[in-house]
Formats: sequence, C-alpha cells, structure tokens
Amino acid sequence: MIDTAVFILIALTGGPLLGGFVSGLDRILTARFQSRIGPPLWQPFYDVVKLWGKENTVVNVWQAFCAYCYVAATSIALILFVLRSDLLLILFIQAVGAVFLVVGALSSTSPFSQVGAHRELLQILSYEPLLILVTIGIFLETGSFKIAGIYSWNEPLIMRLPFLFVVLGYALTVKLRKSPFDLSTSHHAHQELVKGLLTDYSGPILALTEIGHWYEVVLILGLCSLFWATNWIGMIVIVGVTYFFEVLIDNVSARLNWRWMLGYVWALGLSLSLVNLIWLYVD
Amino acid sequence: MPENILSAENLSVLLIALPFCSAAFCTFIRYGKIRTVVILSSGGMLIAAALILIGRTPFHFSPKPIFGLPLTVAVEMLDFSLLSVILYLGFKHHSWIIKILALLQIIVLAYFEFFLVEDRVSPATIFCDHLSLLMILIICLVGVLICFQAIAYMKNHEDHLKPAASKQPRFFGVMLLFLGAMNGLVLSNDMRLFYFFFELTTLCSFLLIAHDGTATATSSAVRALWMNSLGGAAFIIGLVLAYANTGMLELKPVLDVGKVGGGWYLFGLALLCFAAFTKSAQFPFQSWLLGAMVAPTPVSALLHSSTMVKIGVYLVLRLAPAINGTFLSQCVAVFGGFTFLCAAALAVGQSNGKKVLAYSTISNLGLIFACAGLNTSQALIAGMLLIVFHAVIKALLFLCVGAIEQRIASRDIEDMRGLYADMPLTALMTVMGVIMMIMPPFGLLLSKWMAMEAAAGNLYVIIMITLGSALTVMYWARWAGTLMSDPFAGRFKPERQPLLTWLALGALCAGAGLLSMAAPWLYRGMVPALTQGYLPPFTSHSGILENAYGVFAVLPLSFAAVLGFAVAILAVKRASRARVVKPYLSGVQLAESGMFIGPMNRPAKAEAKNYYLSSIFGEKKLTTWINLAAGVLLTLMAGGTL
Repeated sequence: MIDTAVFILIALTGGPLLGGFVSGLDRILTARFQSRIGPPLWQPFYDVVKLWGKENTVVNVWQAFCAYCYVAATSIALILFVLRSDLLLILFIQAVGAVFLVVGALSSTSPFSQVGAHRELLQILSYEPLLILVTIGIFLETGSFKIAGIYSWNEPLIMRLPFLFVVLGYALTVKLRKSPFDLSTSHHAHQELVKGLLTDYSGPILALTEIGHWYEVVLILGLCSLFWATNWIGMIVIVGVTYFFEVLIDNVSARLNWRWMLGYVWALGLSLSLVNLIWLYVD
Repeated sequence: MPENILSAENLSVLLIALPFCSAAFCTFIRYGKIRTVVILSSGGMLIAAALILIGRTPFHFSPKPIFGLPLTVAVEMLDFSLLSVILYLGFKHHSWIIKILALLQIIVLAYFEFFLVEDRVSPATIFCDHLSLLMILIICLVGVLICFQAIAYMKNHEDHLKPAASKQPRFFGVMLLFLGAMNGLVLSNDMRLFYFFFELTTLCSFLLIAHDGTATATSSAVRALWMNSLGGAAFIIGLVLAYANTGMLELKPVLDVGKVGGGWYLFGLALLCFAAFTKSAQFPFQSWLLGAMVAPTPVSALLHSSTMVKIGVYLVLRLAPAINGTFLSQCVAVFGGFTFLCAAALAVGQSNGKKVLAYSTISNLGLIFACAGLNTSQALIAGMLLIVFHAVIKALLFLCVGAIEQRIASRDIEDMRGLYADMPLTALMTVMGVIMMIMPPFGLLLSKWMAMEAAAGNLYVIIMITLGSALTVMYWARWAGTLMSDPFAGRFKPERQPLLTWLALGALCAGAGLLSMAAPWLYRGMVPALTQGYLPPFTSHSGILENAYGVFAVLPLSFAAVLGFAVAILAVKRASRARVVKPYLSGVQLAESGMFIGPMNRPAKAEAKNYYLSSIFGEKKLTTWINLAAGVLLTLMAGGTL
C-alpha cells in the first residue's frame, strides 16, 4: 500500500519534471541544429510558470474541463506505467487524454481550432493502431501485457522486434507532432493554422496542456525503454538515441498533408508490423 | 404461498405471456390514458420478474399442455400461421423474394415436422442459464425503459405528423409483443420454439419499420422482411441438417457436450451462423438496419439495443461450444473482425447522426461475433459484456438523438453544433454516452480490452480490431466535440422534456456508469454462463480483474475517473467566472459571434465543418466492395465446413 502511494507520488511529480527537462533538451538540440544557442534548459518550466500566472480567459468553459481531463488521463497513464500495470490499458488511457484535447479544441468555433482538431484526430487515427500492434508484438514475445512481466524478460526485445521498434518510432513522431507529422499544431513558427489544435487554449489552461504533454513524453520514452529493458544502460541508450533521431527528423523534414501521413504511416507501419508479427507467430 | 407464485416456472410464463396480453390490450383498447397505465404497469412487472429471476437461475422445465394441447403441437400451428402471414405480406407488397422464401420455409418446416422429427416429448422446452438471464435483464430493463420513453415520444410524434386516426395502439402493441417474443426466444431450449420466436421478431420488426406508412417506410420494411426471411430460411434448413445428422433438437445438449458431429452437421451450424448474421445486420445485410431508421426513434432504439440485432450474437455465443476448434469458428472470428473494421470505416464517412449510430451498432456486433469466433473463455466473456454495455449505451444514445431530432428537426451532426446552448442536459447525456463508448474505465472499453487481449493470438482478427478501434475513436470524438461547441452559454439554462423522457435517459445514463463500476461483479455473475471446458479467464479481487498476462483495475480506475471528473467540473465552475473572449479569428473578429472583417471590408462569417473524408470513407466508395468481400467470406465459411 505504502509502495503504491510512493510510486504514484513519483509518477505525479517526476513525470512533469522529467518531461519538462526533455523538452528543454529538445529545444537546445533543435537550436544547435539550426546554428543557434537556444534557450536555457529550464525554459519550458519558466514558460509554464508564466502561463500559469496569466489571466484566466476562456472561449468556452468546457475547454477548461477538457484540459483538466487531458492532464488527469495522461497522468493516470503514467502512474499505471510506473505501477507496471497493463500496457494495452495504458495506451487506452493515454488515448482518453488525446481525445479530450481534441474535444476541447472542437468546443471553440475558430476555424483554426476546428481544423487543428480534425487533423489531430487524423494523427490519432494514424498512430493509435501502430502503438497497439507494437503492444501485441511485445505480448507475443514475452507472453505478458503487464509491464512487470515485460521488464523481467531476459532478452532485449529489440532483437526480436526490430521492425516493430521502427514502427514505434514512426508512431512516436506522429504522437509527439514532430515534423513531417506536425499537422495539428506545431512548435515551430510558420504554421498555416496559427497554433492549430491549441489556438484557443490560453493562460493557465494552455499551461495545463503543456504539463499533460510532458506526462505523455515521459510515457512514450518509457514505452521505448521496454525494448532494451535488460539493463539500465541499454534503457538510457535506446531512449536517448530514439529521441535524438526524433529531433533530427523534426529538423530535416517538411510538413506533409494528412493524406500523405495516413497513407505513409498506415502502409509502411502496417506492413512492417505485419512482417514482424508473422515472424513471431511462426516461431 | 409467495414462493410458489414466484417460482421460476411462473416467472418464465409471466415474462413471455404478460407482454403478449398487454400487447393485445394496447391494440384493442384505443384509449390513451389506459394504454399508458397498461404499459407502465406491465413494464414494471417485467422488470420485477426479471430481477427476481436472478435468484432462480439456472432452471429448465416443460410447460403442461394448454387445454389438452401439447405445447409442441401449438407451436407447430403457430409456426405455420406465422409463415402464412409472411407469405401474405409477400403477396401484398408484390415481393417475389418474400413469397419464395416464405414458401421455402413452409415446405422445409412441413418436411421437418411431419416426416423427420420423431414424436417425442421434449425433456425441457424452456431453459434458462446465466446467458439467458443476462439477455432477459437487458430486454426487460432496457427494452421497458425504451417503451416508457416511447409514450412521451409518440405523443409528440403524432402531434407533429397528425395522422387521421392514432396509430399508437398498434405501435405499442407491437413494441410489447416484441419484448415478449424476445423473452420467449432467449428462454427457448426446444429449437422449434426458438424458430417460432425468431420469425415472430422478424414480423414485429417489419410492422414497426412500416409504422409511419410512407413509401420509404414501406420499402425499408419490405427489405427488412426479405433479408430476415433469408435468415429464417437458413435457420430452418440449418436446423434440419443438424437434426438429421445428430438428432439435435435442443440447445442445452450442445452446451453440455460441445462438438458432436461432422460433415453436414457443421454445415447446418454454418447456416445457423448465417441466420445470425442476417438478424444482426452484418455485411452484406446491413441495409435493412440502415433502412430501419425511417421508423420513429424508439423503434431504432429497441432494434439496436435490446432486441432484434442481439438475437444473432446471442445465438452464436450459444453455439460457440459446438463450433469450438473448427474452421467455422475461425471464419466467424475473421468475419466479425471484418465487419467491425468496415462498419467503423463507413461510420467515419457519415454526418447523419442516426447512420453513425447504425454503423456503430453493426460494428460492435461484429466485434461480438469476433469474440464468439475466437472462442476462448476470455473472448466469450468479452462478448457477453459487450452485449450488456452496448445495449445500455446505444439505447441512451438513440433516445438522446430522438429527443434532439424532435427539437431541431434534423439528425445531421452539423446541425447539432453547439447544441449544449439549447439542450444542455440532453447534450451532456449524449456526450456521456459517447465517452462511455470510447473511454476506459467504462464497461465498453473494458470489454474491448478483453477482446483485444483475447484476439492477440489471431493475426487477422487483431489487426482488423486495432484499425477498427482507431476509426471508432475518430467518429465518436468528432461528434462529442461538435455538441459542446460554441456559442458560449454562460449560465446553465433549464431544459424541458417530458418526465418519462428524463426517467429513461437518466436511468440509462446512470445505469451505464454504475454498471461500469460494477463490472467485476457483473463478471462474476457471467462466469457461470461459461460451459464445460471453459475456465474462468480472470480472478476478480477488490474490484480488479486480473490474469497471468493482463490486469484491469476497474474499481480503482473508476474512482480515479470520478475524481478527475470532479476536479474538471470544479474547473468549469471557476472558468464560468473567468473573462469570456471570442474565438481567435486572426484579430479581425467583430463583436457578433463568429463574424470577422472579410474581403472588401465587409463582415463575413467564419465557418468550419467536420472532416467526414467521404472521398475515402464514403458509402458510395466502399459499400459495394465491402459487400463483395463479405460475400466472399461467407462463401468461404459455408464451403469450408463441407
């Protein structure tokens, strides 16, 4: 009981700390790719604190509801991950967060929000099946959906699920809204939809969506770590390399439209998953 | 002696006979107030009887002869008269296909009854186990609530349409008859009795769909009749084949011994599955259910949630032990997964709210078939849970859409934009329904989680379920967002609806939520429905369902969800005091809502519509190909059993 409480506390506080830290690293790395120095490491935290202090303005009260539900769902997903619960269930719960973010954007009539929300739905449509297929692959190899069981597997999963790891990378790029899949909202400038999905989230409510996103980032990195869970070094290396590539791809590619995204991600993602899953089945 | 009066035998007879009597009463007493009293009181009695039956299950018995006439003979006579009525309808509506199918059924039935079946007393005509009980509870609770709401709905409906003479007497007669037929069907052990009720529900749905008497209503009803007659014909032929090879005349032995024969027996079972697919409006027979939405909304609610389409999935879940380990079972799983995916894809392309609901029903039924075909104990439990949660939530959503349609005179999702401002409570309940459809920890997602973990071992099925789920999220989330869209309402405006409507909506909404929390206990109640050879798939301790490879902490997560919602509601309260700003329109918005300074400095309206992606997911693009593929799969299934 005490253990559980401690784990919950670790997830709740550690999640945003780590997420914000990764986000700061991301910005510095991006800046270096673009021959800039970039902001200090703690900049994401300053941003959130500043937003939190702003006046509370809303376009629709339900947007506040959705933002809170988004944070609740993403934090519960991370808590369950730390408690080593069921991976499929965790994916379902993170999807809850994603859906609430979309519903909140839809509750504003601004065309920028509306189009952003629909694009985000298409992004969910793109990555969600892939994440689940990765989970299925992990289950077929380890015989468990429980993270406890997956972590205790004595061989790095990447050896047996190489293609599924690539698929996971694909799904993450869409999930993290990294270029070329930053359709719904982008952290770079010159977005044709202003801030798309997040256009009408403002002040403290926008700060909440940022915190929710940090939980998501940590959850996703946790997901990556499952692929080399036999020792700590492997975990850190695989997470670091994956995230480095995400940032690199983000900086070297241009935005695609949704047809390309859906086509690419499904066609390539599904065929890679299929091949890898068939390998696992025939074994 | 109260125990004697409330015996399982008497309760079963009550559950079947009471709706029939009330139906007759409603049809012939043309006085509105009395009708309302009859519906309310018989509905209350049905609910009570169903609840008392929980403590009496399982049981089986054969009723005594009625006025010296053995029940089997009575059913025989009823069967033939029912088929004659369908034949008559075929002549009346000049439908050659109905005529042929009705004649075929009469001939096969006559051969079956007079030449094939040995004259023997059925050991148990009526049989009730936990699966039947589950169905009875759904029929009597959800079905009756829909009938209650229909009282208020139909009054509005006729005020609007103004028919020469009120058609409500017949309408409620058929609604109640439907409930009686459903109760009879799920309590039948004797397959001949089952067949009679099977056909009776076909007739009831025909009458209900044709209710409004318009040209579209009649043609939809005729289509429903011929498609379901095809199912009826497949059923009776399947029955003959199964009987000829194994002497199977009852459902119960199927459950006790599992697989008993080969060759034509399995083909017979394939035909029974085919009959189930037509009843549950699986591809390529989806058009009858889509056409059925011309009927008043309570009819759709009834057909989609607690009756009609649930017969198919019930039948296949029943037959699951008999087909376990066969090619047929695999085919059912793949076919179900295929329907789940394709119906979800078609739902994405729809802006008509009722059509979205219809495709979602077809999709969910496909998932239940997939579970039945996967045929592990975990999959079967998932299927049963899906039946329960789908029934409750779909009834809620249909009744909500019915109420919305009566207010805004449209069923298009685009017209429901910002409905929260106009009908706050109904809009919120619709959104709740949507949330319960796609989000954990609610029951439907719990069942889907179970289904997915059970399907992990089947590559085709799991891929189709995975893609289908993602599409499902898309069409539901879009709808919920549209309902909550601007204009900002400020204070909560009260909304007026008839009391019975609030009763039905409130009970279904709260019921779905509470049932979700109680899912672990519901699971315990379902485990006895598993037959020999199927081990309980989970352990259930302190509200957590767990097995060797998966865990779903239902109760803790429900509490977390309640907590999250509570915090979010407080945030809404706080936000209500915050400054309200206009949605972003590039800084050129005008004071009027949604207007901006457009070209030539003229005011222009900013509009954004939902993505329906009809170039990919449109009916015109997909339906033909899906029907073709479904035809191929069905042929594969039938041929593979020979």
